[in-house]
Amino acid sequence: MAVQSFQEVVSIRGSKIVLDVLGSDDIDVIFGIPGAATLPLYDEIFHSDMRHILARHEQGASHMADGYARMKGTPGVCLSTSGAGATNLVTGITTAYLDSSPVIALTGQVPTHVLGSDGFQEADIFSLMMPITKHNFRVTDVKNLESDLRSALRISMEGRPGPVHLDIPRDVFETEAPFLGLKSDPVSPQPPDPRRLPEAVKMLMNAERPLILLGGGARISRAGAAAIRMAEALSIPIATTLMGKGSVPEDHALVLGMAGMHGKMSANIALDECDVLLAVGARFSDRTVGDPRSCAMKVIHIDVDQGELGKNLPADIAINGDCRLALEAMIELLTIKVCSSTWSDRNGRIVSRCSCDIDVQENPISVRKVIKELDGFLPDDGVVCTEVGQCQMFAAHHLTIRDDRRFITSGGLGTMGFGLPAAMGAKVADPDRMVIDIAGDGSFTMVCQELATAVAEDIPITVVLLNNGHLGMIRQHQKLFYGSRFNAENLGNTDMVGLAKAFGAGAARVDDYRDIRSALEEATSSGRPYLLDIQINREEDVFPLTLRTANGVKIHKGSCPFNGGC
Amino acid sequence: MEVISMIVNDEFGVMQRIMGEFTRKRINVEAIVVGKSEIPKRARVVLTVLDKEMADIAGARLPRLHDVFEVEIVDHSRHSAYALISTGTGKVGLIGSQQEIQELIERAHPDRYIQTINAI
Repeated sequence: MAVQSFQEVVSIRGSKIVLDVLGSDDIDVIFGIPGAATLPLYDEIFHSDMRHILARHEQGASHMADGYARMKGTPGVCLSTSGAGATNLVTGITTAYLDSSPVIALTGQVPTHVLGSDGFQEADIFSLMMPITKHNFRVTDVKNLESDLRSALRISMEGRPGPVHLDIPRDVFETEAPFLGLKSDPVSPQPPDPRRLPEAVKMLMNAERPLILLGGGARISRAGAAAIRMAEALSIPIATTLMGKGSVPEDHALVLGMAGMHGKMSANIALDECDVLLAVGARFSDRTVGDPRSCAMKVIHIDVDQGELGKNLPADIAINGDCRLALEAMIELLTIKVCSSTWSDRNGRIVSRCSCDIDVQENPISVRKVIKELDGFLPDDGVVCTEVGQCQMFAAHHLTIRDDRRFITSGGLGTMGFGLPAAMGAKVADPDRMVIDIAGDGSFTMVCQELATAVAEDIPITVVLLNNGHLGMIRQHQKLFYGSRFNAENLGNTDMVGLAKAFGAGAARVDDYRDIRSALEEATSSGRPYLLDIQINREEDVFPLTLRTANGVKIHKGSCPFNGGC
Repeated sequence: MEVISMIVNDEFGVMQRIMGEFTRKRINVEAIVVGKSEIPKRARVVLTVLDKEMADIAGARLPRLHDVFEVEIVDHSRHSAYALISTGTGKVGLIGSQQEIQELIERAHPDRYIQTINAI
């Protein structure tokens, strides 16, 4: 770390230290809501260039910071006051933790002399944040504020990214301390442990039916290009997890698409039949592999987080290190191999059978038709965020993320209400891109107040609301597994257009599939936040639904037209 | 019984953070000793869990914590056991092998006792 010379060291207030450190790390926006404990910091923001986006609920602020971080690949910052403001961040920070997103959560706290007295708006947020962050700090001495905030920024990006929390009592903002102007060391990717690389390459090259599975870690470390090079060199197909979606272009011939519970048949069949699986930044979650005991193949597991290796599934070869660097090192070790074309040909045939026609021209509107229209309409660098539930799984299954498109979703925590604020954060991070939130009415109404933020702050995102008046995924599961004993899934008939307009957003209702395209054009060219209330068929469910158990694979095919093997 | 020894930050909240990892993985800590160590601002934590599998799970997770600097699953042969027992005749501190301490406790029938293991 470079330290300025002694003469230049000046004492400044804690609130200014916070803004100066963030500013020196090129952070130009904070998402938050003020309160008594953070007013000193807000007064400093008044005097600074820092942009502040006033959310309407701290959960919204945390998802905005998360969307910003996922879009930019650098830390996003959210800010709340003590007590209830801080506890409202918890959902968003857990979301960021499970999806490895570098969010910095700043919470104000009651003054140090009040700490522990159950003062007004005092919550032990330091303890509450502990299990849902990579690390957290309670800064009780302003002298530690600069170094703790620097450490927080570094930790959030180092190795496997993740959220870091700082709890800062009000008096720490108000007290002066010497500001050293320390500079952050650049975070460089962690080189792979080289010891087992040759063995891994040998296992992969000797495999008869190899498969590459790319997870969120592959996307975060930008390992996609290396994965494609390796796949092409050895004719290995690639499947992704939900979080790995978008790590490789999904229109590539070797890319099978998303595996898992609502994944493509093509990817799931390959996952069942492969003899060697190269898992890259994937953690074998139950939504991807079901019961880990269903995995009989040999596994090579690359992950930057040592704690993931062997956590859910014992690997035959585990390699700790950055996913991109590990794949590049493996490519160096490849020798020319004459590939057996049987396996890759077979996968190619399955992919073509799996590319089903989703151009469903009927009313009430089919979700698949909406996705089809959106896929045709979305630019090559368009960003799609999703809420959680059927809307998310329809998008994950059918939408093609190719070129420089991005797919931002709450995978680990499955946080309903994530999509709208995350889309806003992504739009703030990269205003030139078109940003769409694919929403269901259940998720959307959990955070719909953030439309007011989007209007006030001029964040022109488009909400494609797939409105069926129900908690669709709950309804689907009650239909499939609970004898259609529907309950607690009917959301009634909210006037979503009226709601959006009340917040000052543009809005239109779509009842006919022939109007989807023009509605998308109208919404995205309006230059303002816009909600498309698309009235969809409430009986349309997400298929296939693949359940992998220790006793075998059970597939609910439903409307999925895929017809068997090859 | 397996023994895990760690060097950690000597600060408030650190034990809570460490115990959180055991809670997550449903591992009961059988005994625990914490104290100042030979390194300034660092404490040593020595704790025991029931079996090797649990020790390995904890051993993989604990180094991810930013308050934990070293984690070692300690060689069995270096255990020493301690007990503080209270009987009608007073309080006595005992040191010995795990087996010796176990036998002493069984023989003394103390009204109260606490038993732990330590190894560095």
